[in-house]
Amino acid sequence: MTRNAIYASIFIGTVALAVGLALQEHLVPAIGVGLLGAAWTITYRRNMFWVASPAFALFTIISAVSIWAGVSSWLALACVISSLIAWDLTMFIQRLQATNESSPRVVRTHFLQLGFIAGLSVLGVLATTLIRISLTFGGAAILAMLGIWGISALVYRLRRHEDDIDV
Amino acid sequence: MSRIALLAALIYFIILAGIGSLNGSVLELALPLVIYLLAGLWRGPETLNLSAERTISSERIKPGEIVTVNLTVSNHGDTLDQVSLQDPLPDFLELLEGSNNRLVRLPAHESLSWSYTLRGRRGSHNFSGLNVLAEDSLGLVVKRTFLPTHGQLLVLPSVARVRRIAIQPRQTRVYSGVIPAHQGGTGIEFFGLRSYQIGDSPHHINWRASARQNGTLYTNEYEQERVADVGIVLDGRSRINNFSDRSSIFDDAVLAAVAVSSALLSEGNRVGLLIYGDRARWTSPGYGKRQRERIMQNLALAKTGESQNFKSLFIPRRMFPTNSQIILISPLHADDLPLLAQLRVSGYPLMVISPDPVSFEARKLGNRDSVKLAARIARLEREIMLRHLRGLGIQVINWDTAMPFEQVARASLSRPVTFLRAIQRGVGA
Repeated sequence: MTRNAIYASIFIGTVALAVGLALQEHLVPAIGVGLLGAAWTITYRRNMFWVASPAFALFTIISAVSIWAGVSSWLALACVISSLIAWDLTMFIQRLQATNESSPRVVRTHFLQLGFIAGLSVLGVLATTLIRISLTFGGAAILAMLGIWGISALVYRLRRHEDDIDV
Repeated sequence: MSRIALLAALIYFIILAGIGSLNGSVLELALPLVIYLLAGLWRGPETLNLSAERTISSERIKPGEIVTVNLTVSNHGDTLDQVSLQDPLPDFLELLEGSNNRLVRLPAHESLSWSYTLRGRRGSHNFSGLNVLAEDSLGLVVKRTFLPTHGQLLVLPSVARVRRIAIQPRQTRVYSGVIPAHQGGTGIEFFGLRSYQIGDSPHHINWRASARQNGTLYTNEYEQERVADVGIVLDGRSRINNFSDRSSIFDDAVLAAVAVSSALLSEGNRVGLLIYGDRARWTSPGYGKRQRERIMQNLALAKTGESQNFKSLFIPRRMFPTNSQIILISPLHADDLPLLAQLRVSGYPLMVISPDPVSFEARKLGNRDSVKLAARIARLEREIMLRHLRGLGIQVINWDTAMPFEQVARASLSRPVTFLRAIQRGVGA
């Protein structure tokens, strides 16, 4: 099930971005995205799991850039969420393979959490389409600084937890 | 790059790109990544408050016997979404059923019990504890801990039953046993005649000899049988026990050591054991079942190894009483001859049981002509070496490990070497 979910996520992400680019008549980048998706799928089939991280980063960066090129923000968002799920499941499947017995509850909880993240993201973006706030550049910059500070604090917290080793 | 760092870098990029382009749609793309990070923090394990218990169905097993390990892990803290519980196993233990490495969810204040079965080859393993890795279900926040448990498993070496090992040490101990002591007294085997002394049993008077001598009575003397000091040396040097295809003849040598030590101890002898490879392991001499147990435990732990100290054959004389019987169990190397000759010259009766490495390796290399020729040359070289040893008065048993050790022991070790040579001479004539 997890493997199929990875294939499906890569496929959806690739198709969303490639279609978005093709609709804006950026055929060469669309083909490039298609090839990138194919390469990710093939390398995953060959258990080259390390490819997942650069592929996820590339898809996210291309999605952000493609919005400048006029691609629908929904398609770009679909690509980011799908590639995030594919990347996460690749890491998860590695953890499953490292053990020789895993509880179905663990897999179920993981999928539920991913579904929750995807759903919440869509709802969040939906909310942004409904709520429109006009900001000056200065206001936007301050908000961005706050956002960066918040993310940094979050990352610091997560990494501090990660480094704790109980003996 | 860690997963958190990758996500953070992507979020920074999207925020900066969004601000730079003054495009809110770009900023929206950061939302899934931020929610993902927050979910990790929300569900991440804070502290680990776990304990583990272990029971093992049997702490001492024979090779091939099955043992069941039961484990219970209790979570005294909050719910843990993903816990990897790993019970490390050494190479010599084979997992038959169940799992020693599980990924589970541990609800708060609940316990998880499971079991797995093992089978093993010779060796000892101390089950010191479980490696625990707890994560949130996304695997962003990782916490590690080690849960100590008690338990030890000893897989004893295989036992080959050998009834008797005939040895002829120069010196015996005072206690009665089965080894001829080269002294007259009470026993079974005829030793000689002496003049009758008051107190001698009339049953022992040799009437035929007394009749030939006027007025003098002669009494039969029998050879005393006593116990002896025996030192067994097991050679664990890697370079002579292990082969290029990762096979090893050392387990056969261990089997021989078990058989010989058991047989000698059951006859009441005082037996000591020296095993050396990467380091020396010495079992000081002793008698009886307790000594057998100590020897078995040390043989269970015996490993091959390489050390500069034991590059050549190593038999420390101070460990073995003068004139005691030494039994060396080793595949042998040509370089070992001088030391063995030196020992023999020093007066130690020496027996060498040598598992044949040439036949052992040739069997694994197949039936090609080149292999046959190489094996033939190696066999000739080995035969020359063994003859040289026999010429020094050392009893050498060249054991082709394809044959059971019991069979070899019955043919070559159950009678004194002089008796066996006499039989061979008789057959030759």
